[in-house]
Amino acid sequence: MKLDRSSYMFDMILFELKDIVGDEDVSTAESDKIAYSVDYYWVSELWHDRGQRGPAPDFIVLPETAKEVSKIMVLANEYKIPVTIWGGGAGSQGGALPICRGIVLDTKKMNKVHNIDLNSMTVEVDTGIIMEHLERELEKYNVSTMHLPASFYCSTVGGFLAHRGTGVLSTKYGKMEDMVVSMEVVLPDGRVINTLPVPKTASGPDLNWFFIGSEGTLGVITKVTLKIHKIPEVRKFRAFLFKDLHSGIEVGRKIVHSGLHPCVIRLYDNAETKSLIKRVLGIDRDGAYLVYGFDGYENIVDLEMKYASEIAGNENGEDLGRKPGEEWWLNRYKFFFPPYCFALPQAFGTCDTVATYSNIENVYWEMKSVVEKNFPEARFIGHFSHWFHWGCMLYSRFIVDNPPSDPHDAIQLYNKIWNTVLRAAMSKGGVLNEHHGVGLKLGRLMKEQYNDSFMMIKNLKRDLDPNNIMNPGKMGLGV
Amino acid sequence: MEIEKNLEILNACRYCPMCRHVCTSGLLSNLESDFPRGRGLIIYHIYKGVEEYSPDLVNSIYNCVLCGCCWSNCEGGYRMHELVKSAREDIVHLGKQPEAAKEIKDSLIEKDNPYGMDKQSSFSASIEEKKSDILYYMGPEVNYKNHEIARAAIKIFNKLKINYTILKDEPASGKIMSLLGYTADAKRKAKQVYDRIMKIRCRDIIVSDPLAYDAFKNDYKGWGFNFEGKVRVLHISEYLALLLKEGDLKLGEIKKKITLVDSEYLGRFNRIFEQPRDLIKASVNANFTEMRCSKEKLLATGEAAFVFKGRKFSDGKKLGEKICSMAQDIDAEEIVTLSATAKNNLKNCPGPKILDIAEFVAELI
Repeated sequence: MKLDRSSYMFDMILFELKDIVGDEDVSTAESDKIAYSVDYYWVSELWHDRGQRGPAPDFIVLPETAKEVSKIMVLANEYKIPVTIWGGGAGSQGGALPICRGIVLDTKKMNKVHNIDLNSMTVEVDTGIIMEHLERELEKYNVSTMHLPASFYCSTVGGFLAHRGTGVLSTKYGKMEDMVVSMEVVLPDGRVINTLPVPKTASGPDLNWFFIGSEGTLGVITKVTLKIHKIPEVRKFRAFLFKDLHSGIEVGRKIVHSGLHPCVIRLYDNAETKSLIKRVLGIDRDGAYLVYGFDGYENIVDLEMKYASEIAGNENGEDLGRKPGEEWWLNRYKFFFPPYCFALPQAFGTCDTVATYSNIENVYWEMKSVVEKNFPEARFIGHFSHWFHWGCMLYSRFIVDNPPSDPHDAIQLYNKIWNTVLRAAMSKGGVLNEHHGVGLKLGRLMKEQYNDSFMMIKNLKRDLDPNNIMNPGKMGLGV
Repeated sequence: MEIEKNLEILNACRYCPMCRHVCTSGLLSNLESDFPRGRGLIIYHIYKGVEEYSPDLVNSIYNCVLCGCCWSNCEGGYRMHELVKSAREDIVHLGKQPEAAKEIKDSLIEKDNPYGMDKQSSFSASIEEKKSDILYYMGPEVNYKNHEIARAAIKIFNKLKINYTILKDEPASGKIMSLLGYTADAKRKAKQVYDRIMKIRCRDIIVSDPLAYDAFKNDYKGWGFNFEGKVRVLHISEYLALLLKEGDLKLGEIKKKITLVDSEYLGRFNRIFEQPRDLIKASVNANFTEMRCSKEKLLATGEAAFVFKGRKFSDGKKLGEKICSMAQDIDAEEIVTLSATAKNNLKNCPGPKILDIAEFVAELI
């Protein structure tokens, strides 16, 4: 249904929404229409920067319970109104943008911590809670989810589930998806379902995986039970410098495969070492900067540090010592604050991808090569920040310092770089994305990535959301 | 436009969500337009001439409680509150301010308090003003609502045989008007206050109100009324801490777990953190315990919260609840505050006793 503000139907629906959540929790204010029309996606920022208004919601609703979410979904289905879920609005893929207008369902008032089970080491929590607020509650019991991503201060738990977020300690504690025990989900038709109480079963498919990473297209995750961990006795870091990237990757791989359990491994390529490491940490050196960390009982950590140090030494790494490693840890969020982060007027994109150890270096060089060859106006930098048993993640970025001033031209160039760089990644065994999601930005490439199997995702979407009201236009699922 | 003076802040904050977890107004409504990023988006379009200030947009600018929590948690150190203040000046210049802001300003001009209360009800109405070395300046909240704080300060002065005076019908400092965007009115009020104070020929101004303190210390100079080198401006906690250091003040025994609520306008904007702590720790057997959010990471007490959603601010209790919850986490038996606002917003906190720093000291001398 296309809503016209001058139509009485606008007021009829507004009344129904207020009846569900209360007058205070529905906004149609112009101020909010502006604020909810821009998330962290570069194109939405560019559009705003050039003095344009992006697509804005007709209604912003802030439910406090799954029951209220359910009623909103029933109403939205009756009138066929698009519903876009908004958590912290800090996503870089345009996933939270209400491009088809309709309702923005802001989850931030669903922010209760229901149960901290120190026996099972789990926390049951509403998904609208800001991650930092959850950690503040857990801190009282000396426990943590250990999910500490760059958007720790501004994103919600639901946001991380929606796009399969990864925190800085992922190498030991996993991605957000690895932390899920069970979930409560409101389906597009308003039914409220619960996944099984535990995730490791032989009782049929794990329903959690239908919704993790679905970016608000298949339902609204309203509550989740997550794993928690004791705060470790110590967490120690050490930094090394390598003459070339290959040696650094080899060190990371060998540390993981040696049976050690690092919580952090991060390797910056030469370009990023020379730019960001210099700007944020003040270390001005040529080479590839690597930092690793271990946490747990001090005796064990010291032993693990010793073995890791030997591995790094064997690859001719220059030991920079503990201090640069610890400085990096203390400043880990600083990289993402202005003036340290990339910002307009620059055009920039984080094309994070992941591949096996056999492929990841080829992925890096291919991405770098196609950017530098085809787009002389762009630079390419990257670091490797999440290390799994089988491979690791490349957080690569392209930056155009002087993009076209015309926003239409700028978007065309931007998308061209994206397509080129991601096709290069996929050609060498990489994927579209590792932890920012797909959203509006990469939806057009989903079919290329999945080929014929994309049909399974489309069919699931059609079955769960036949009116296609949930986050239309995202993930390549059409409007 | 005044906002043009703060373009660097505008460009840094308009797309940055990194202070979302601490923004007081944003966490009150949870609406995006009440977070610094939302305000940045709005002000940028005003600056570009894409939008004009409508009531909705004006509300977003006035919903900010100017607590500086975003600034304290910003790695780049951007002072969003300065951008908001300049936007308010533009709004006032255009005559588009919320009605509540205008009512507060009118009340301050006519009655020297933001509450519309009659001057007769003020503590200073019945005061005999005299020449003295020490001027005790209460600020409107103490003067009109929290007379117990003024009585506590006077008890301390009397006990220590300090010759003090109070301005009869104490005028407001102008700070609130300035924060609401009425800079010209604030300067006119400041001139009145400055002239009255200089006439007394005092050596020190001892202030209870953190907003007035900030005005005397920082704003007055820029407005052409400089106390520096003529009169010393001290918050009452600073003054008492000095007396303590010089051995002129001794505090008795208190066997309680005590915590302190830092003030945004004393602590965050003027770095007064240690003096009130020195006082509490100097009392015999006091068990001083910090709350989780203290000093630079303090939560807003609402000292500069006047207007919200176009109406007079009424969510102070919600701010108090958060601080109360932190105090309960550490089992505090007594919460010491540094402004009447903080005390009033905490008054429903079950359990601990709430008292201003002057009351705390007055009970122990």
